[in-house]
Amino acid sequence: MSLRTWFAERLPVTEVQAAIAHKTVPQHRHTVWYYLGGMTLFFFIVQVVTGILLLLYYRPSSAEAYDSVQFIMTRVPFGWLVRSIHSWSANLMVGAAFAHLFSVLFLKAYRRPREMTWVSGVLLLFLVLGFGFTGYLLPWNELSYFATRVGTDIAGVVPGVGEFILTFLRGGKDISGATLTRFYGFHVAVLPAIATALIGLHLLLVQYPGMSVPPSVEEKSKREGRPVPAMPFVPHFALRDLFGWTVALALLAGLSAYLPWELGHKADPFASAPAGIQPEWYFLWTFQALKYVPAHILGIEGELVAIIVMGLGAVALVLLPFLDINTRRSRTVVTWLAIGALAFMAAMTLLAVRGNRP
Amino acid sequence: MTRTRTAWLLAAAGALVATVAIRAAGTAPAQGATPAPVNPAQAVTPEPAPSQPPDVLFKDDVHAKAGLTCESCHGAKKAGGGYAMVARTTIAPMCAKCHADAAYMKTFAPQVRVDQYAQYQTSVHGRQMAKGETRVATCSDCHHAHGIVAVRDTRSPVTPPHVAQTCARCHADPARMTPFNRSPDIPGDWSKSVHAEALLKRGDSSAPTCSTCHGSHGATPPGAESVANVCAQCHVREADLFKKSKKADLFKSMGTGDCLTCHSNHHIEPPQASWIGLDDKAICTTCHDDKMPGAAVITSVRKGFDDLQSRMGEAQAVLDRAETAGMLVEEGKLALHNAAEAHVRMRVLVHTFAGPPFDEVLKEGLTAVAQANAAGVDAMNELQYRRRGLAVATLLILGFLATLFVKIRKLPK
Repeated sequence: MSLRTWFAERLPVTEVQAAIAHKTVPQHRHTVWYYLGGMTLFFFIVQVVTGILLLLYYRPSSAEAYDSVQFIMTRVPFGWLVRSIHSWSANLMVGAAFAHLFSVLFLKAYRRPREMTWVSGVLLLFLVLGFGFTGYLLPWNELSYFATRVGTDIAGVVPGVGEFILTFLRGGKDISGATLTRFYGFHVAVLPAIATALIGLHLLLVQYPGMSVPPSVEEKSKREGRPVPAMPFVPHFALRDLFGWTVALALLAGLSAYLPWELGHKADPFASAPAGIQPEWYFLWTFQALKYVPAHILGIEGELVAIIVMGLGAVALVLLPFLDINTRRSRTVVTWLAIGALAFMAAMTLLAVRGNRP
Repeated sequence: MTRTRTAWLLAAAGALVATVAIRAAGTAPAQGATPAPVNPAQAVTPEPAPSQPPDVLFKDDVHAKAGLTCESCHGAKKAGGGYAMVARTTIAPMCAKCHADAAYMKTFAPQVRVDQYAQYQTSVHGRQMAKGETRVATCSDCHHAHGIVAVRDTRSPVTPPHVAQTCARCHADPARMTPFNRSPDIPGDWSKSVHAEALLKRGDSSAPTCSTCHGSHGATPPGAESVANVCAQCHVREADLFKKSKKADLFKSMGTGDCLTCHSNHHIEPPQASWIGLDDKAICTTCHDDKMPGAAVITSVRKGFDDLQSRMGEAQAVLDRAETAGMLVEEGKLALHNAAEAHVRMRVLVHTFAGPPFDEVLKEGLTAVAQANAAGVDAMNELQYRRRGLAVATLLILGFLATLFVKIRKLPK
């Protein structure tokens, strides 16, 4: 009995093989955007692998965290490479996830029947940001310590539950060893568990109805009375995906070897915050936008209003497929809203970067 | 040559305090004006004239806040209005009525000092004033008369960063110093010293200014015998080693001012390795030449400094290169820090004027600097290894990409 037959008796191997063999991917001028999801997944896999390697040496306590990361970077064979790849890959994953979200948004791939794919994707983006926020503190260096203090301060503004969220996140009144251990717990257990489940769901939802075709391509196909061209998933799309992943790997290797991620100085809770404390680049736009909010808006605390607006924006993003009634006009509105959001985020980020220059 | 140098140094030291405070009668001190932020070059700038009348200045005076009034010092108004001037000779005794009364002063602050007047009477200023020489300084010359603020107030003319400027108002003024045969160059000399730089540029308020060495209310010049004790207030270890060294008795018999022999007094520069040696620029040659006993120790100590310093420079360069290239060189930096610490200890041990204790620390320094250098070289080698590894990995990845590309192109459309 061959191994294949042994498995086929127990699992639907033949059916899966047939499904893969018959699976196709639409081929048109926007096909290139289909690769971004796979690219994000690639970076996530890199994160899992390098994260597990880092776990072997990392010690999650305020007394040992910094020294253990330093040990990884100086003493562990290829430790510097693993840590650097983990840090670079985290940033590239956030970038790829944002690019994937906006490509799906512009191509209107969230439309019926892919609402749940969109919702799971947006939730995954939030998780990726959660990974970034919790992981940033783990080296326990000066920058991460004070940036986390600023970041968690924002949560404290939420009316009613703000104080509770702040204490829950920090494990006390201020950033301490208790914050580090719970961020570590979120980073290596809670978030990965949720992310794995959501990624499984997301991939399933992507595979089941297949890739979405943009409205313009659909309309053209209807006008011309012929189906949208497609290519086989295996090997055509899979090989192209692999090509993209390999380029990403080369980019990661180059960045890690030539621009190794800095460790900075060990956090000193009793020291005053160094000048120019900023969060990671993907949080810069919110950080900068909050600076422009007036102290009071209509008698309400300005920061609170900003938090509520951002919260509503996040909810609207999750519920977008249900808010867009899928007419030509509504799609145009969504496109312009997305362009506006992108321009706002880019402008705020640029202002924050420029403002932090010495 | 040594005697000539020492004589000059002693003359300069004496000049600072021996006839301090020549204030011309009638030239009232500037009052209430907050001394401008000073830098060494400006330490000799005379204070500007008071910009406001006494009653306005007095509103911000600590005495006004304590409930005192014009009458407290000037007595009742004269028949024609206005207050009588307080005679310069009576200013200090008048201030002492309160400031020397411990019971009264404690009502304002539990730990306030009350010995200022007693100190003043021992000072050159006080002794001269007692003789009726009114051109010397009294309380109001340094503290102001109507705009007096607490010493810890940064506006005070006697808060550490402002002391030199306050003393310089008289001591840097040739017109005031000449009648007393004193040099007006001393504040200027101090302003170029390592102490002035620490105090005025780096803001280190523990660095010595005029009053640190000469006293404030009891200002007197330290004599040749006591200079080492004055310096030892801060330079404890150096003074201790010096007193135990064979040079202590020798300098004493020569009547030189211990520390001053090599370091000067007011224009004290950062110590340099070049001071030690038998070449023209070295201070040792004031007494020594290459045929005298001790020449071998002098040469060996100088060589030790030069060796360690040059190796520290090399190690620093390689560590900088590695760090700029993104390598972590914390251990190398720590070793270099240890070498620098050994260098400082060597400078202290120079005061033993003996080879063995110096050589021991030199050995520690050389070991540390070798470790720092090795860490830097290792980091650079590791960097090269990484780059070679990246080049190989890139080639493999490019080869794989090329294969994939060819494969994709060959796929049926």
